[in-house]
Amino acid sequence: MTTPRRETTAARTKAPPQAGSRLSDRQFGLVLALPAIISLVLVVGIPGIQTLIYSFQRVPLSDDPATFVGTDNYGKVLGDESFVESLVVTLQYTAGYVLLATVLGLLFALLLDQPLRGRGIARALLIIPWATPVIIAGVMWKWLIDPQVGGLNAVLFEIGVIEDYKPFLADREWALVFTILAAAWHQASFSALLFLASLQTLPNEIVEAAKVDGATAWQRFRGVVFPWIRPMLLVVVIINVIYGVLQFDTVWVMTQGGPGDATTLLPILLYRQLFIFSDIGAGSALAVMLGVVAVLVSSIALILLGRDDPLAA
Amino acid sequence: MASRTLSRPVLRRRAVTALLYAALVLFAVWVLFPFWFLVNSSFMTPAEAVAVPPHWIPEEPTLGNYSAILAGQVAPGGAQVGLRVLTALGESLAVGILTVVANLALGGTAAYSMSRFRFRGSRLSYFSVLFARLVPPIAIVAAFFVALRDLGLINSRYGLVIVYTSFTLPITILVLKNYFDGLPRELDEAALVDGASRLQALWYVIRPIARPGFIAAACLVFLESWGEFFYALTLTNQLTIPPVLAGFRGFFQFNWTTLAAATVLAVVPPVLLALVFQRYVVRGLAQGVAK
Repeated sequence: MTTPRRETTAARTKAPPQAGSRLSDRQFGLVLALPAIISLVLVVGIPGIQTLIYSFQRVPLSDDPATFVGTDNYGKVLGDESFVESLVVTLQYTAGYVLLATVLGLLFALLLDQPLRGRGIARALLIIPWATPVIIAGVMWKWLIDPQVGGLNAVLFEIGVIEDYKPFLADREWALVFTILAAAWHQASFSALLFLASLQTLPNEIVEAAKVDGATAWQRFRGVVFPWIRPMLLVVVIINVIYGVLQFDTVWVMTQGGPGDATTLLPILLYRQLFIFSDIGAGSALAVMLGVVAVLVSSIALILLGRDDPLAA
Repeated sequence: MASRTLSRPVLRRRAVTALLYAALVLFAVWVLFPFWFLVNSSFMTPAEAVAVPPHWIPEEPTLGNYSAILAGQVAPGGAQVGLRVLTALGESLAVGILTVVANLALGGTAAYSMSRFRFRGSRLSYFSVLFARLVPPIAIVAAFFVALRDLGLINSRYGLVIVYTSFTLPITILVLKNYFDGLPRELDEAALVDGASRLQALWYVIRPIARPGFIAAACLVFLESWGEFFYALTLTNQLTIPPVLAGFRGFFQFNWTTLAAATVLAVVPPVLLALVFQRYVVRGLAQGVAK
């Protein structure tokens, strides 16, 4: 990135500091950035460090001081059977969610990139599930698949997929499927919006040239389109993985982790530790592990994307 | 009309086109079917909502669910939701607007600085923003919970604004920095040459030109804030609309049709916002969020 350096020197040689401003460009830049940086330290940095500290402490509910307990909280979380179960469920959930949200998103984007009539309206439609809060997607799907008031049972019954109205969320496997589906309904749109943005930067001449050379649609996809959107694919997959691992909203509103522990994802477990069992130490230990995983996964992605020096981007 | 014989490529192309349009219809169903069900239910009486087979259009449409919520009354079927939903919608709006304002003020200046100036720690600042963007909100809730409790800010809209700033500010800075980077530096320089101070250049020259960037950031932040559930659930007593919708069954004599109407009222603002500012939002999303 050569421009800013050039500009600063240009500004410096050109401009003696104006009247009324005794700050150099460097100082001015710092002053402008400082309020936001201080805010981020206060609302991200300190809470992050505080959570890390809690994870090594026993934190009483009263005003009594917390006591240092070493790695007990981590041992407690990792040694708990429900953690292993929850980890397995979370991995299943994430796999399904990432697959569905990414593949559907890619298909939607490819479809809406075609010169079809009504494409403008369809693109407006595409934004709707994304603009719908995840929690509301959960509410809609919960009642859509409800055996009493829902419409999905009737549709599936009419076309002969099911022989009886089913309380899907009372079934362990169906509950997982539908909590995935509700969240993926929202997220597929997000993926598609990003894929579409990437597809729209693909120069038309390249595709046309491939056509002239007699490439089939599949060959054009494999040879031209897919390589073009691959960086975006990585971004989308990473974001979806993180959202999958951290998914809370749809599960909370649809099943609260049930039936049994069938949909108890790690964030649900975290909620229970903190707010049901009021165990801030153990909850923080779990939170730290989730946070570290999320930060690691996205950092690796940043490096893979060659953005290890974002200022040079 | 004479029958035409079509060559195979033409037939093939037509078949492909037909398939694409069929896919387009399926796509529309995927998006709209849950909404159709939701809106349909919101105009039904509780009795009609449980009809088997379900009615896809209300036979006796009623505004009872909406009027109960808007008038703060007991809804058809006895659901006592009225007061709570309206208040919660108002709180969601207040939290959203305050969060947007805080974001634009803090994020606008910081993004401008990071786009234009180099100073001791400017790289570190930028990395800290990227890092803050990666910290998942759910991972630091324990600290917020204890801190807000000690500050007496549990169940407070200002508490939520503070907390929401933690995950929205990095987005705002990234979106706006990206936008500023795309604006020619000659603009600032011309203003400076004309005798404006650096702050005046930012306020009178850059701010108006960067409006699309600000709109994109504002929309993204408002949408995040409006739909945020986890903090609202854990740090407030159903202050904003998401936890009210999620807690319907536990707290009110339940009926789905009233919840449906409340859900419609809660989903219209963000969807409308996204549709109206579609272009800005999508660009902001692609340029700021994905990076």
